[in-house]
Amino acid sequence: MTDAYRPGGYAAASERIIRDEPTMRTAVTGAARSKDERRQAAWAQIDADAWRDWARDLKSHVLTHLDRYLEEAEDRLVQNGVHVHWAETAEEACRVVARIAEAHDARRIVKAKSMLTEEVGLNTHLEALGLDVRETDLGEFIIQLLGEPPSHIVGPSLHRSLDDCRRLFHERFGTPLDASPEALAATARQVLRDDFLQADLGVSGANFLVAETGTIALIENEGNIRISTSIPKVHVALVGIEKIVPKLEDLAGMIQLTARSATGQPIGNYTSLIQGPRRPGERDGPDEVHVVFVDNGRTGLLADEHAWEVLRCVRCGACLNICPVYRQTGGHAYGWAYSGPIGAILAPGILGLEESMPLPFASSLCGACADVCPVRIPIPELLVYWRERAAEEGLVPRTDAMAMKAWATLAEHPELFGAAAGALGAVPLKRVGRMLPVLRGWVEEREAPVASRKRFLDNRSTKEEGT
Amino acid sequence: MSPRNRILGYVRGAMSSRPRLPHPGRFDGRYLAGDDRLPVERFAEMFSASGGEVERFADLEQASDWLSAFTRDFESATVGATVPGVLRPRLPSSCPDLAPLAVSAAAGGVAETGSLVLDARDGRRTQLLAPTHVVFVYEGDIHATLVSAMVTLRPNLPSAVGLHSGPSKSADIGQILVRGVHGPGRILAAVIGAPEGP
Repeated sequence: MTDAYRPGGYAAASERIIRDEPTMRTAVTGAARSKDERRQAAWAQIDADAWRDWARDLKSHVLTHLDRYLEEAEDRLVQNGVHVHWAETAEEACRVVARIAEAHDARRIVKAKSMLTEEVGLNTHLEALGLDVRETDLGEFIIQLLGEPPSHIVGPSLHRSLDDCRRLFHERFGTPLDASPEALAATARQVLRDDFLQADLGVSGANFLVAETGTIALIENEGNIRISTSIPKVHVALVGIEKIVPKLEDLAGMIQLTARSATGQPIGNYTSLIQGPRRPGERDGPDEVHVVFVDNGRTGLLADEHAWEVLRCVRCGACLNICPVYRQTGGHAYGWAYSGPIGAILAPGILGLEESMPLPFASSLCGACADVCPVRIPIPELLVYWRERAAEEGLVPRTDAMAMKAWATLAEHPELFGAAAGALGAVPLKRVGRMLPVLRGWVEEREAPVASRKRFLDNRSTKEEGT
Repeated sequence: MSPRNRILGYVRGAMSSRPRLPHPGRFDGRYLAGDDRLPVERFAEMFSASGGEVERFADLEQASDWLSAFTRDFESATVGATVPGVLRPRLPSSCPDLAPLAVSAAAGGVAETGSLVLDARDGRRTQLLAPTHVVFVYEGDIHATLVSAMVTLRPNLPSAVGLHSGPSKSADIGQILVRGVHGPGRILAAVIGAPEGP
């Protein structure tokens, strides 16, 4: 990637990807469509509205009782023999993991796929300390070898084609350039199996954490998460504070709902329910389990009377798959861990609004994301909310603000509006549009229509006179 | 102030002027089409649909006979700690990361998701590292719903439970589905009829 990997690089990155990387667009669109088709088929089997209402209400209940459930979870985890840590920022979360690694003299770390660790930049932090960090999810493994960030919440390498993977494995492991996907997977299995068996520390995220039992719940299909949390002597789970569910029965619902949305399955082929370290009489399992509760902007979002609803997100990626804007570029253009519509409304809370610009504007507001969200997050409303906040805080270009103000003046004064509409008919729209803010981007990509010399209202009055 | 107290303080501050919303009640996960089949039948359909294989036996003896025939092609096996003697293959024992075959006993099953409930007390490496995994489960231990399985698990939870609902799989290489990425590429649920498990 040649563009700056931050949200501010969005315009340049998306333009470059669309212009220079047509294969990425093809791969992303194809994968997103296929994921969405599977989601649709899975949701067609269930009483979708009832499931979504329940999930919205459960997450809203948790978020409005989060203090109680965090304390209950902490008590239970400690009873289970789990070490509990709290991290207010990304840096703190990384330092906690580094301290645990140091305390165990750990050199080799295997990682289960975790978007929270991407969010806090854990790999970079640990690698700078000289630790050997290995991603074990096949998609994460591929992008780690390529030195790329994930381009999708669920399928981090979905922008890469089979041929990309063939070339990569040929260069790194000497497999033939025409190797089958099965042969490539077998090579990854062999390489990573050695890493699993030699790792000192396993790091995971958590899809959910059950307050009443202290259960860390993890959903996957490959088995790498189960192995990463079972074989190394120490397991560290980074858990966003919003990931709590009250009871095991609630977990049963959320696991199924998440799988149906993320991959169109009734459940992931592996679900881990981890209560703590290995107990007397058990053959294997880690001797130590640590949970790091991470805030990193979440309490700020919770305090916002509009934006808090984004914390219901279960990271299924359904809103990315359906989004016509995401499908054009994939996730890299968004410049941070979470892309697509959900990334655009999480970013202001986690990165700050200024750093997140222009992501709240990277949407056509078509509303498809809200239609598919399994926890009914009002994504388009929140995009508009952050746009308004950006305008209030002077974060949109002044020319855009002036253009919108001019439009508002016209819309509020019918005589001015009429005069402007009349003038429009005589103006070469494409040429003039290029000179104007807001319109410039629009007319560059499109053929401007020829404006009618007659106003719509004039048409109407002619008709009315005729009848 | 500790990070813990600061974070909890922020949470309480955020809640100070916000209504506390009620719990929506137990998840009842309704399906559009009713299903009046026995849990074992639904389990078999769901487990097979996600790539697992299902064998059904009337009793332990039949299951044991099948195992003898099935294991003929394997040189060694790793066996779970809770697998009863009659269901232990007559093969040399090998460590889980080298064994071509693993045999486990499940604590139960879930019909609606097609899942086997695997308890850490049986041995996690045995459940995860061999390319082929045979899991015995009693028909009477198969729950209709995941909620029901969770309620049964709650009083006696081990350090870890794995819900295994099919083979290890991934579509991360060019969106093409491959099996056996990390865990077993072949998983067989060997379902034994009444009586119920211990």
